[in-house]
Amino acid sequence: MTPAPTALAISGLRKAFGGVLAVDDVSFDVPAGTLTALIGPNGAGKSTLFNLLTNLYRSDAGTVTFFGTPLAGKNSDAIARLGLVRTFQTARAFPGMTVLENVLAGMHMSARSPMWAHAFALASAGREERTMTHRAVALLDAIGLTGMRDRDATALPLGSQKLVELARAVISRPRMLLLDEPAAGLNDAETAQLARLLVAIHDSGTTVFVVEHNMSLVMGIADRVLVLDAGKLIANGTPAEIQADDAVIEAYVGRAAPVTP
Amino acid sequence: MDAALAITIGGLVQGSVFALVAIGFALVFRVTGTVNLAQGAFVVLGALTTYSFEQTFGWPAALAALAALGVAAVIGYLVAVFIFAPGLRRLPPSGMVMLTGGLLTLFEGAALLVWGSQPYQLPPFSGYQPVSIGGAKIPTQAFWDIGITAVVVAALWYVLQRTTFGKALRACAENPNAATLMGIDVERVRVFSYTAAAVLGALSGIAIGPVVSLQFDGGRFFTVYGFISVAIGGMGSFAGALLGGLGIGVLQQLGAAYVSSIFATTLAIGLLIVVLVWRPNGLFGRGARREDNRAAAAHPLGVRTRIDPRTARSAFITGAVVVVLLPLVLGGGALSSLSIAGIVFIAVMGLDVLMGFAGQISLGHAAFVALGGYGAAIATVRYHMPPLAGIVVGLIASLACAVVLSLITVRLRGIYMALATLAFGLLVDSLAVGLSELTGGPSGLTGVPHFSIFGFTFADARANYYLVWGIALVVFVLLANLLRSDFGRALRAIRTDQTAALALGIDVPRYKLYAFLISAACASLAGSLYAYYFQFLSPDMVSTPRSLEYVTMLVIGGEGSLAGPLLGVLLLVILPTAIQPLNQAKTLFAGIVLVGGLLLLPQGILGVITAAVARKERRTTEAAAPPGSVPT
Repeated sequence: MTPAPTALAISGLRKAFGGVLAVDDVSFDVPAGTLTALIGPNGAGKSTLFNLLTNLYRSDAGTVTFFGTPLAGKNSDAIARLGLVRTFQTARAFPGMTVLENVLAGMHMSARSPMWAHAFALASAGREERTMTHRAVALLDAIGLTGMRDRDATALPLGSQKLVELARAVISRPRMLLLDEPAAGLNDAETAQLARLLVAIHDSGTTVFVVEHNMSLVMGIADRVLVLDAGKLIANGTPAEIQADDAVIEAYVGRAAPVTP
Repeated sequence: MDAALAITIGGLVQGSVFALVAIGFALVFRVTGTVNLAQGAFVVLGALTTYSFEQTFGWPAALAALAALGVAAVIGYLVAVFIFAPGLRRLPPSGMVMLTGGLLTLFEGAALLVWGSQPYQLPPFSGYQPVSIGGAKIPTQAFWDIGITAVVVAALWYVLQRTTFGKALRACAENPNAATLMGIDVERVRVFSYTAAAVLGALSGIAIGPVVSLQFDGGRFFTVYGFISVAIGGMGSFAGALLGGLGIGVLQQLGAAYVSSIFATTLAIGLLIVVLVWRPNGLFGRGARREDNRAAAAHPLGVRTRIDPRTARSAFITGAVVVVLLPLVLGGGALSSLSIAGIVFIAVMGLDVLMGFAGQISLGHAAFVALGGYGAAIATVRYHMPPLAGIVVGLIASLACAVVLSLITVRLRGIYMALATLAFGLLVDSLAVGLSELTGGPSGLTGVPHFSIFGFTFADARANYYLVWGIALVVFVLLANLLRSDFGRALRAIRTDQTAALALGIDVPRYKLYAFLISAACASLAGSLYAYYFQFLSPDMVSTPRSLEYVTMLVIGGEGSLAGPLLGVLLLVILPTAIQPLNQAKTLFAGIVLVGGLLLLPQGILGVITAAVARKERRTTEAAAPPGSVPT
């Protein structure tokens, strides 16, 4: 059996803010087809690392390669067009657009009809628009947001807004999905629904890389877990290995003082 | 040599007044992050009230000047409390630029009613006898003006550096939230800075009143030059404002003397554009402040409630039928106003694509109307091309300028984008006046033919009406189709959250360029039709104040929906011609509409209508649903 190709290869990545090394010489691979999670205490540099992947921040050193293509110097939109699509830590549904329109906006990269075809209302453009709407509606059905489709997306509760944002990213059919704390602000029921969704997305063949605080969510669904502490990668393994790792326990709860007799 | 010295001193006098205006700009910008386009209005107010107290009431000069400063303080304070401060609480920075633009229009309209349209000049403070220095005769007013500026600068420095109030003011400038937490009444500091800027403006007017004559709409000139000074110096920097003002004053006088008085303005604006692009923070500027992507882009303006597509379609069909049938019942005068409205509607639809959908503020839309208008007029009058070719010439010129402007402003956003378009508009204004060989200069270009095609000439009122509205309907339908598709969604995504738009693979600069090109094309087409309709074109018809009118129509009608511009256009074009007394106070009316619309109807008239329709639809659904069932 040939090993799975590498989706994301990160090597020697470094980023400093003033004197603080937020990401310190981090290297790892995310194999294609996995559901990989990145965890770490607050301030470990997880979000910074994420923002480096899509070039929202410029790294001080190191390389990021996506299915063999170096991402250095590419704009966020060009990276998205390569198939690396992300969501944000705070829900960022587009205000003033309905839930349906938000999801349709996620299909921007697959829209083929030229502007003039839409302007002159050509049949082909109309067909494409209808196909896109069908797909978007089907996805909204699947995540239980059908009744909300014509409401302003930002008028929804936070949990639903995060679902809209996730749907918007998924419908673009990315090769790899980057999720920045998808469970933040969700209640238990919403988190359980999210877990089912992530597993379904992963099962459909999409590589998923998720930054998450919610340990039980991560341990329940991830194939591999990476642990970041103070900008350094301190562990990389299966959920079971991570749960038994001393360095991880120390980073999260601190080391117990040695017992003196 | 004497001439050069005299010109330089003249430039310093002019420049010291620009510097005072610029310091007022810098003060308001430092404390509130707002470019106060109404600053120049206080210059005119100061000069004209002094004139009235002195000449009409016969008060001594010093008393008249003091009283005028008092009037400016009271008016500045009232504007600050009732318009400016509420605006700061409700509007994003780009909305504030429009609000202060509306204030400038409002002041001009009010000054027109009070003082009429003739120019006024104040007597010099200490007689007409000049002082002779090194062979050059220098008017005594020069010493007064430079002295006043020096005293103001010294006083300002003392207040900012040495008093507790100055510290509070600087704290508000650095970080208003932290200042509030420290117990500083930010609102009071804002009101104070606006009032102080108003008094500074009036003082500049009193100082320059004996040097140049001023009339009701002179405020624009000082707003423009004060703004150029402060933008070149650095938006929030007092030293930059002072040096920028003096530099621009000297440059303008030297340019006028040795190059051409008409191109002196072009020179200054050219310099401004170079600085805006090369160093957006100015030569002495500090880092840009409060340029949070999302705060600047996500403005609360625009129609939020959606109309049901079927309702929208039937409204459109009804409207189209009304447009077709109106000439059967209306006479020539009414048809002519409606034709003008149709032309303006085409231009404002274009502006809506750029502002309402893509969220890019343009204060230079009239420049593209001018390019289309002059392109068509010059092609047909000077080169005897057929009218259709004239439209194409205008379109090529507009699109070429739009591409260049878009490329050099691609990194600018929010208010800097608004300011760059404003500067471009002013540049085109000055060229329309300056290139008189081609454009006919300030008096305009006559002898433009009516539009004609395939041997048919659109000569009478009815033919022109159908020409204009036929084109308007086609543009409306094409844009409506386009904006309903992926393109429209991409623009709206860019408007509210550029980072999230990029993350979906939307090529933001490219889509902004498309929006800009579409808006320029609509404006250009409207400009060509304007020239053919009037068979005449003058700079007034297509200059920067028109840009503000287009913005007014868009905002009051309702951004982000093509029907909004129609309501705005009908309100501001048809109403003043229909109600005669309103016609005299047209400028004042436009100013009040823009200011009131921004503060009270952020979604425009269309927003009010759609909200009402949505409420009614909800009630009908609820009434129709059997009790106990859940309406969906």
